[in-house]
Amino acid sequence: MNGMASMYARLTKPTFALALLSLFWVLPAAAQGTAADEIEECLTCHGSDGLSVTLESGEEAPLFMNRELLEKSVHKNLRCTDCHAGLEQVPHPERHYKNLARFRASFGEACKNCHFENYTKTLDSVHYGLQARGDVFAPTCVKCHGSHDIARPAQPRSRISQTCATCHRPISEAYAKSVHGRALFMEQNKDVPICTDCHRSHDIADPKSRAWLMSTPALCGKCHSDGKLMGKYGLSTAVVSTYLSDFHGTTAAFGAKGRRTTNEPVVALCVDCHGIHDIGKVTGDSAPAFRANLVKTCRKCHPGASDNFPAAWLSHYEPSLERAPLVFMVRLFYKLIIPFIVGGLLLQILLHLWRTVVNR
Amino acid sequence: MNRSNDDVVRFGPRERIEHLLVMLIFFALALTGLPQKFHDAAISKTIVNVLGGIAQVRYFHRLAGVLFSVMTLVHLVSILAAVIAGRSSLSMVPGAKDFRDVVTTLRYYLRISDVRAQFDRFDYKEKFEYWGILFGGLIMITTGFALLFPIEVTRFLPGQIIPAAKVAHGNEGLMAFLVVIVWHIYNVVFAPEVFPGSKTIFTGKIPRERMRHEHPLEYARMFPEEADEVLGHHRADPARKQAAEPARKKDG
Repeated sequence: MNGMASMYARLTKPTFALALLSLFWVLPAAAQGTAADEIEECLTCHGSDGLSVTLESGEEAPLFMNRELLEKSVHKNLRCTDCHAGLEQVPHPERHYKNLARFRASFGEACKNCHFENYTKTLDSVHYGLQARGDVFAPTCVKCHGSHDIARPAQPRSRISQTCATCHRPISEAYAKSVHGRALFMEQNKDVPICTDCHRSHDIADPKSRAWLMSTPALCGKCHSDGKLMGKYGLSTAVVSTYLSDFHGTTAAFGAKGRRTTNEPVVALCVDCHGIHDIGKVTGDSAPAFRANLVKTCRKCHPGASDNFPAAWLSHYEPSLERAPLVFMVRLFYKLIIPFIVGGLLLQILLHLWRTVVNR
Repeated sequence: MNRSNDDVVRFGPRERIEHLLVMLIFFALALTGLPQKFHDAAISKTIVNVLGGIAQVRYFHRLAGVLFSVMTLVHLVSILAAVIAGRSSLSMVPGAKDFRDVVTTLRYYLRISDVRAQFDRFDYKEKFEYWGILFGGLIMITTGFALLFPIEVTRFLPGQIIPAAKVAHGNEGLMAFLVVIVWHIYNVVFAPEVFPGSKTIFTGKIPRERMRHEHPLEYARMFPEEADEVLGHHRADPARKQAAEPARKKDG
């Protein structure tokens, strides 16, 4: 009932005239000519500001295409019908869309024709999960990448973080104040992680899932155990190894499988002490403040912790005579005594066997 | 040699039960403890997964640790009571003879001398293991409880105690494990004299011939009629005679 005729009836009058015109003139050329030719054909109608159609839901679906936007797009050399498949014929074949979200989603699918790998990745993402549950606000390809103005997503890198910020405003603000965010926005630093470096771009996992939480130490470790990268900033790469060999890290490394449920704190992960998006600096001027705050951090999980307690954690340092003399000495003692005792006993065994053989 | 070769009773039920319990608990502690120390190893991950995850492994480890602590306490208290009551033979206490025995044995192994050390109820190897597990056990118990109650411990002691206790606990445990699998298992299973393994600590009985050979001084006290024969062929060595005489007097 809401067929092509009624759709055209709702077009503004001047464009309606143009659309009619295209029926007779433009159509044969569209299929044959270059991409540029085709764009020109389509713009004959879709270049008029205000061209729109009213959907069943009563929403207006704009059909106007801004030529200036297209000229900035990385896709400016594609044909319109490469994405808007099935619309080669004018007048276009009749289609039904319940609402604007459905209307847009129908074109969103077009991306997979060329970007199949990234499209399949999104099927595993938390965003796709929302879409599948019918959330009309869930991000689709075009929500992050744009449509006609599609550009390279990471030029400059900070653009990605700004893209995510359109929906994730408070998190983005916390990130902008963090040691990583400040370096990104103020110094255009190329080493600090942007949103997608941790969360990935297409297969974005649910950050509240246990699997994700347990993977965070490896995530931080990817950069923080890279000697070349950390060397640039005078940061130690022992942060990961010292974490893993301590109680918390060992628990995390074993996957912390046990009695606890998903939403309970599992074991102290990097983010539990350092923060998630608001990760601060722990070296230089910020060190005393961080240290003074440490006992409060410990008390989040160990309510009875006294002021002595934070020193039970060697702050990612390998024990040395200056930093932790007691631990250093105990470790040295065993490094010497174990080979001495075990070696001595092995030697006695060999001598005993030798003498037994000699006796025979 | 027409001497009867009946078994001789060497260990009473208490010693046998104590050994069995320590053996089982030691195995449980090593199985649940070493994977925590060597958390990178693939075998550790397998063991932890098979036992039901790290939380479960730690629970078993602590349970076994508490049992070990109770056993150690019972052992020490009963020894103390026996010593006070004058019922202890003090046969496990090391003396100068044990150090002389080490030298004699090494000289024998190196073929400097053909004289073998003559041992009493416990030889120096057995004493070394006993005192090793006792002192090692006390270190494991103290450091283990510090790791179990870090909040309480650091209320009175500096925080560094905890990582130091962790280093000591892991290394002491590793050393105990190595000593047991290398030294103890060799001495009671693989040594040519006992291969394929001595059952004495489980049955309490030792073949008379082995007793004569391995603990001649105690044997001579048990069977005075054979004393001259057992100790006789060592009379040539004055050090041996000296060592044997006081022991016989003390217990005689």
